[in-house]
Amino acid sequence: MKRIFDAQLLGPAIALIVIATLVALTTDRFLNPGNLSNLSLQVSIVALIAIGSTIVIITAGIDLSAGSMVALLTMILAEMLKFMGLPLPVAILLVLGCGLALGLTNGVLTAYLRIPSFITTLAGLIAFRGLALLFNNGSPIFSLDPNLEPLFYGSLLGIPLPFYYLVFFYGLAAVVMNYSKLGREIYAIGGNPSAAALSGINVRRVQTYAFAIAGFMTAIGAVLMSARLNSGSPNYGQTLELQAIAAAVVGGASLAGGRGNVLATLIGSLTIVVVQNALNLNAVPTSVQNIVLGMIILAAVGVDMWRNELSSKIGALFSLSHTRQRGA
Amino acid sequence: MASSDATGSRLCVTTELVRAKTMTPISEIKEPLWEVIDLVKRYPGVLANDHVSLKLFEGSIHGLLGENGCGKSTLIKMLSGVQPPDAGRIRCGGEDVQLHSPTDARGKGIATVFQEFSIVPSLTVAENIFLGRLPTGRFGGVDWAAMNREARAVLAEMEVDLAPAEITGNLSVAEQQLVEIAKALASDARMIILDEPTAALGLSEIDHLHKLLRRMREKGCAILYVSHRLDEVERIVDEVTILRGGQVVRASGETEISVDNIIAAMIGEDVGEHYPKTNNSREEVVLEARGLTTAKGVSDASFSVQAGEVLGLGGVLGSGRTEIALGLFGADPLLSGEVKIHGKSVKIRNPMDAIRAGMALVSENRKFDGLFPNFAAGGNITTAGLSSITRAGFLDLATEDKATADYIRELEISPQADSKTINLLSGGNQQKVILARWLFSNADILIFDEPTQGIDVGAKLAVYRLINELTAQGKSIILISSDHDELLAMSDRIATVQHGTVTGITKASELSHVDLVKASSDQKTHKLQETAA
Repeated sequence: MKRIFDAQLLGPAIALIVIATLVALTTDRFLNPGNLSNLSLQVSIVALIAIGSTIVIITAGIDLSAGSMVALLTMILAEMLKFMGLPLPVAILLVLGCGLALGLTNGVLTAYLRIPSFITTLAGLIAFRGLALLFNNGSPIFSLDPNLEPLFYGSLLGIPLPFYYLVFFYGLAAVVMNYSKLGREIYAIGGNPSAAALSGINVRRVQTYAFAIAGFMTAIGAVLMSARLNSGSPNYGQTLELQAIAAAVVGGASLAGGRGNVLATLIGSLTIVVVQNALNLNAVPTSVQNIVLGMIILAAVGVDMWRNELSSKIGALFSLSHTRQRGA
Repeated sequence: MASSDATGSRLCVTTELVRAKTMTPISEIKEPLWEVIDLVKRYPGVLANDHVSLKLFEGSIHGLLGENGCGKSTLIKMLSGVQPPDAGRIRCGGEDVQLHSPTDARGKGIATVFQEFSIVPSLTVAENIFLGRLPTGRFGGVDWAAMNREARAVLAEMEVDLAPAEITGNLSVAEQQLVEIAKALASDARMIILDEPTAALGLSEIDHLHKLLRRMREKGCAILYVSHRLDEVERIVDEVTILRGGQVVRASGETEISVDNIIAAMIGEDVGEHYPKTNNSREEVVLEARGLTTAKGVSDASFSVQAGEVLGLGGVLGSGRTEIALGLFGADPLLSGEVKIHGKSVKIRNPMDAIRAGMALVSENRKFDGLFPNFAAGGNITTAGLSSITRAGFLDLATEDKATADYIRELEISPQADSKTINLLSGGNQQKVILARWLFSNADILIFDEPTQGIDVGAKLAVYRLINELTAQGKSIILISSDHDELLAMSDRIATVQHGTVTGITKASELSHVDLVKASSDQKTHKLQETAA
């Protein structure tokens, strides 16, 4: 367990606790059970997609296509349910398969055809939304399946279902990243791709897997998005990829690769959503909300970059009592 | 530049005195140009510089020596304005100065050539030389003609044959190093700090560099010279200061400048033998490479390695030794040629194939393609053998922890390696961790490309002992080294490499240092004449 809950979680966790406490003290309705449950619904879609974004970021890549992919996948799901009359479970499985395939495409283009992931997924960001517009003449499709909505709004033992999804997928991701060979290889290729290749790691295949995982998690997000709004629309998921990347970065993932913790990303997602929620409850306009979000990202990365200097300054205060140690 | 009133004749006298390697400290003769007094620098948990004092004189090459982690780099950083000292004084020409930034230090006449180059590969040689202070014309634009003219003058003065308009990234490592030095020269620095300037250079390049340094000394520069290659230190420096554990253990004039004395002072004990070689070579051929050819300059290279043997690859920088290793290991795809292991032909298309066939490669540049800076020792050690600790896709972390602890103990790696990420360790410890990686992968044919480059004497000895242990177990080693003494002493046979091919294989015992240098250079001139004709 020491490996999963490592020191990287500490900073983001403290930040979240401080922010949540401040919000709770200043905003009456924040701690209402209704609001808290709403909060977990709000965070779920971003947080699930952010699992994939984090893994891609750890490989030193980036996935900008998630938001548009959500739009495309909600349209595919809507098309299958509304016009092709497929049963719900089949349609969902097919959408998950589509997400996996789109992620694989991103991965193959990046890893094997050596197009930088920023470009590959930027192309995806533009093209996937275009593809989404090909369905139903570009119009949203509403009222899909009566059994779809409960997947998002349903609850078990009084706890909303999305909470269980978060526990399941984050638990799985944490175990894979910390205990599996694939997880280790993902960290290795992000840390030093040349060394990884010389150590016999199949760098291209691991990169491709990372994007495939991201595609799959995006598909999970897309199904929940459809369930939440009981519809599919080419306009869904705008800037979702950026929120997911922001969550990873607030959680301490380094865009240079090799460093990051999926559980910290969950904390990062929560931090962002708590702030948004607080601003909403206080009727702060969207313009200010966006400015605040930008500031949070800057502050999170800033603290991370300055951490070494800060800790050495703090260390220097205590070093007088240290015994003299030798060697630099 | 307060004390620049030194006349040429006075300098001449000083350098004569210096040349005589007198045991009298120069401090009794003249005022130092730069002086540091009782410098203290503390990092969290480590006292990196503990009241270090040093005097640097005009017209003198001052060697700064010590094992990795002794505080050399810290001292250089403070003298270059990269980091401020916690306590102590830095004096220039008898006056206290503060070096607030590298720019500040450069403005005061200190030019530093760091181990990691500060060259911008996409710019031309001239642009790099004048980077940060490009000559400007009347309207504030860059005066390109003047810049190229001045660059040409600087390069001519150095007797370096480089075109100012050449893109720096296209040059060899050695040539880039010369550009770095030209940059220091062009800034009219009165003091030049060189941190491991020869780590990437071959013998002739080192000679060239030394010639250059001597000329700069004649001109009255003070030079602070840091190197792990003690044989060349012995040849070039006028005085030495030796650091150990952040303290000066031998100030200038306190030790005779000879390799044995220096080593004894550096590690604090006598090292009887620098190269403890044992002969374990057996008649059984383990690896046979025939006609290896790659797109990266290897053409028709053939050689064989026996069980328990160390096969040295000798040759000048750029002769293709490293490229042969990369081709054999599958990192550069083989265009043609055959590799046989234990008599069986093996197809090696990539490093994965090579590792499966029992090979290992300790690469030349740790930072570039060896280390995982995001992992502590454990992750770095197991990467090449992950399959052996994987059950149903998951890692057996208990085995990893145990193996890591074992290697840390056996190879005497710093215990901090267990918890700290590897980029925070010294070069010697990093290299040992990488060696441990290939011990863990249980390879039988290990390619060591410059395994002792940039690591301290103690760590070097550990590498040599490891080579002996491995060969005693019947494992084979292909050793690439620019340190000819090391190559001669540690190899059983030496294959001379020229232009990407093996031109001859001789028993190491039948070769002398001179033979080795001659063999490579003779063939080089021969080849040049061929191409000229």
